[in-house]
Amino acid sequence: MGTPLHGVSASPGIVVGTAQILRWEVPEVPVRVIPDEAVPAELARLHTAIGAAVDRLQQCKARAQQNAGPAEAAIFDVQVAVLGDEALTGGIEALIRQNLGAEKAVELVFLEWRERFTRSTNPLMRERAGDLVDIEIRLLSILLGLPDGDPIAAGPDAETILVTHDLTPSLTVQLDRTSIRGIATDAGTRTSHVAILARSLGIPAVVGLIDATSRVQTGDRVILDATNGELVLRPTAATLARFAERAQEEAAVRSELASMTTAEAVTADGVRITLRANVDLPDGVERLAASGAEGVGLMRTEFLVVGRTAMPSEDEQVEAYRAVLEAFPGQPVVIRTYDVGGDKLPVGGFPHEPNPFLGWRAIRMCLDEPALFSVQLRALLRAAVHGDVRIMLPLVVGVDEVRQTRYLLREAAAELARRGVAHRADVPVGIMVETPAAALTTARFAEAVDFFSVGTNDLVQYTLAVDRGNAALVTRFTPLHPAVLRLIDGTVRDAAAVGRECSVCGEMASQPLMAYALLGLGVRTLSVSAAAIPVIKRLIRGVRLGAASAAAQAALVAPTAHEAERGLRQSLSEALGAGVTDGLLGLS
Amino acid sequence: MIERMVEVQNAHGIHARPAAQIVKVAARFSSQITLARDALEVNAKSIMGVMMLAAECGAQLRIRADGPDASDAIEAIAALIASRFGES
Repeated sequence: MGTPLHGVSASPGIVVGTAQILRWEVPEVPVRVIPDEAVPAELARLHTAIGAAVDRLQQCKARAQQNAGPAEAAIFDVQVAVLGDEALTGGIEALIRQNLGAEKAVELVFLEWRERFTRSTNPLMRERAGDLVDIEIRLLSILLGLPDGDPIAAGPDAETILVTHDLTPSLTVQLDRTSIRGIATDAGTRTSHVAILARSLGIPAVVGLIDATSRVQTGDRVILDATNGELVLRPTAATLARFAERAQEEAAVRSELASMTTAEAVTADGVRITLRANVDLPDGVERLAASGAEGVGLMRTEFLVVGRTAMPSEDEQVEAYRAVLEAFPGQPVVIRTYDVGGDKLPVGGFPHEPNPFLGWRAIRMCLDEPALFSVQLRALLRAAVHGDVRIMLPLVVGVDEVRQTRYLLREAAAELARRGVAHRADVPVGIMVETPAAALTTARFAEAVDFFSVGTNDLVQYTLAVDRGNAALVTRFTPLHPAVLRLIDGTVRDAAAVGRECSVCGEMASQPLMAYALLGLGVRTLSVSAAAIPVIKRLIRGVRLGAASAAAQAALVAPTAHEAERGLRQSLSEALGAGVTDGLLGLS
Repeated sequence: MIERMVEVQNAHGIHARPAAQIVKVAARFSSQITLARDALEVNAKSIMGVMMLAAECGAQLRIRADGPDASDAIEAIAALIASRFGES
């Protein structure tokens, strides 16, 4: 049949395509000494390579402009200017004239400049070192004749299946979403950045393949069976035919699900459930609005700062929020403030941390950098003029963090009033319940917050002490662990007791079995990834809350996550029929 | 040779993109143009040089130009810096 590599399904679907390996690391460079008479030819080689690199950068710029926007595209102007700078090229030429091969000359000169930038005490300068690495990789790859692993190299008909070690947020802004049919990565889990992104774009993805980049070659024909988490290398004709058939079957289930767009999210026993969407990037938002989501339960704002060279201005942020608000007129849009560590910001030169998930990040970083946070808060208050904005704070552990944010919000409103800028001062504020601390003290937050939303990814990670980005721990990341279920159960009860809405916006809500458990625990508002909306709506319409509640109570007292899962699956199969259950579980 | 002092006014200072804009403008002139901050003086046509200045918001820079179009060059670069590079 071919050679299957096993990974984890991150975003379902079956596609056949051509593998393209993306290696974005500085290549090994051989030391080569050239004779005097070869110097002119070597200099010419250098300049040909620089010319080729500039050409590629111009293409990159055009693509980034389409995919991400002019602000992101401008980074390529910088790279073109660097390659045209005699201060740099002159240094490389000088080394070649001293009989060094062009590759080593490039490496040494970039090393020198990088060190100069890294040594600086000025954070603005230290960040530039990263830009230089990007340029160096591109130039050396051309000189060494390495296959062009650029994420945007593919044409629109390429049917590319991108194979890479890991997909970083900064590579993501460059991706050409029209030519990429699938994504396969060595690292990552269902909940890592690449997986969430792939799901929100509806691109099939398998992660955690461990060594796919060393077993696949660019140009190989491969089958990506992202529904089952497999990458099949060198498939036989028979295998190709079998997968084509399966792809067709899935398409049939999908077309049934497509009819869910206009259906109401009402359970079989007549209870209305609110189904909202999670938004990662504003650029897919029209599609989302058409998927039948009733507003946005989680709009992430990290795209505004990660992989950028400057912090976004207040105006730029207002526009980004407004785009989403206008796609959901009259419906709530819950916008989460920055959920990143200081080291991911384009400013400040904040240190890298050994343990960022327990570190200086999210609301902690924002409250410690009020100048930076206030720009976002002002933008949110201004955007609220255009729709139903609700502000959500990530990684909260105590009521004081909400009080401090409210103080900054009052200041922000006062400044906007002083400037005479249209805004709303009465925007609801809620918290992500994603730490055991917040889950165990939900009721105490009643005085300070307007709503709660359980963020299951982090809640699982912090409760079970399992890093959700670690492929070696993938089987230990179990959202149905009794401890997690008990925390969610307590949060839902406490929120109800103090009269506040409690939704669930984590990945857990996007998976049918877990969504079933959440309904059973009393959750009436779910926010899920775009691709999951029809699946979860189909589930809602097929189940009764009485049975869901009984199944959830059984799961709460099950000794292990595995036993909880078995019970839920059985209950769900009784409600929906085994065929539909398997179909929905396979597609999620 | 003529020179003028300017203050960097955009919030994030002369980071990569503003540096690229300065180099692009400087390249339009045949004069020799430099930017200086304290003792460090760099070629305004070299992005590496301009980035080395690491000029943050509030930094005082001296623009110097020498050549046939020196005064136009200084005018153009001073105007670009005063425009905050189009950032708000």
